[in-house]
Amino acid sequence: MDIARRVIAPAPAAAGAPRLTVVTPQRGRGAMPTSEELNDLVRAVATNGDRQAFAVLFKHFAPRVVTYLVRGGTPAASAEELAQEAMVVLWRKAASFDPARAGVSTWVFTIARNLRIDRHRRGGDADLAGDSAEAELDSHADPAASPDEELDARQREQRVRAAVRKLSPEQARVLHLSYFAESPHAEIARELCIPLGTVKSRIRLAMINLRRLIDATEP
Amino acid sequence: MIRHHPDDALLMALAADRLARGPAVVTAAHVERCAHCRARLGELDAVGGALLEDAEPAVLAPEALARTLARIDSSGPIDGRGDGQADRSAADAAPVRSRDAASPRVPALSRAEMRFLASLPAGMAWPRSLRSSTPTPWRWLGPGMRWSRVTLADDRAANVFLLRIAAGKSLPAHTHDGIELTQVLHGSFHDGRERFDVGDFDEADGSVHHQPIVEPGGECICLASVEGRVAFDGRIAQMLGSLVGM
Repeated sequence: MDIARRVIAPAPAAAGAPRLTVVTPQRGRGAMPTSEELNDLVRAVATNGDRQAFAVLFKHFAPRVVTYLVRGGTPAASAEELAQEAMVVLWRKAASFDPARAGVSTWVFTIARNLRIDRHRRGGDADLAGDSAEAELDSHADPAASPDEELDARQREQRVRAAVRKLSPEQARVLHLSYFAESPHAEIARELCIPLGTVKSRIRLAMINLRRLIDATEP
Repeated sequence: MIRHHPDDALLMALAADRLARGPAVVTAAHVERCAHCRARLGELDAVGGALLEDAEPAVLAPEALARTLARIDSSGPIDGRGDGQADRSAADAAPVRSRDAASPRVPALSRAEMRFLASLPAGMAWPRSLRSSTPTPWRWLGPGMRWSRVTLADDRAANVFLLRIAAGKSLPAHTHDGIELTQVLHGSFHDGRERFDVGDFDEADGSVHHQPIVEPGGECICLASVEGRVAFDGRIAQMLGSLVGM
């Protein structure tokens, strides 16, 4: 709540003004901003170039993006650099973010993922990274979205989140490693103590179950 | 009406960046023209978002935010305020998937690419996932059968190709060790199990022994990615297979 109020208050500085003071959010340690608060923060960045709002987004996402990248095998130094790049893309593309299409966390996830893909493809050339991350975001603003895709993103994200929480601990682990691990199959085999050859069917089972849970919570 | 879709495990692999480039462009070619799968992929992206939320935050260098703000200050105007360069380079990249069909910016095509695109049947949509890929001219593979190897800019070794088979003709029966993904770009075929129309997607692993036959109505063009070796039955078929480089 604190964040939302603070963000909605008129932002004093224009986008270009160099103002690096960061106000620590007035909330309990470990408290997570809600998806509405995150939407408000992105809107404040888009409309006012609000650096305080950006700082809150940065503090929330950049450390998690670094974790995502490092777990996936990106060396720590490049991971931090790439996370900064992801936040720069967020700043630059804030105006094209459409909360009806995806939640902020999902959006940041796709930015980070696409930056990593670019980085791999281009052999680590930092100057060229970001192209497909930007293309991905352009697609957010696609006016020709079908009615299917207009499905309220908030509902979708809540359904998905609830479904992920309802997975058994083992299937949740399979899902987590599938997205985060450097070598998902090897790590799933090791953690679950199962032969490598059976990992694929475990992933498939987890996905069938996740789909069942997502569809079961359909409003 | 699209009836054959990639399964959730494959879409998840696309969302989680677990696919090699070859399978990724074929799967993306399906998703870009299938609203149903775009919605499912949106859910699997949201799984990534949920997992990101739950991730243990790393400790950043104390000056990380200041450095990021400095990069913002030095990176020019915000999108939508006259920075056309970023948009152009975004159009040149081959994104994992992109729905910006309406984008007027198309990378300049070479004469060979234009000739290739002109060789396609009228009304056939060229997948956007192949935007930065280069197809060879059509090569003879057998009576009524042509193929083109597609070189991906970001993975030249990826085994991706187009098959163009005349009405009523069939591909030699084959199996494969790895996974074969197929997206129907034009026409339709029947593989002895089911019929696949334009827009349909097929994933076949080594347990599938199939002989696709193109339906009598017209020619069929498919985009395919093969991992592992393809084994054709019979000596002539094996020879054809070695021509294709499979």
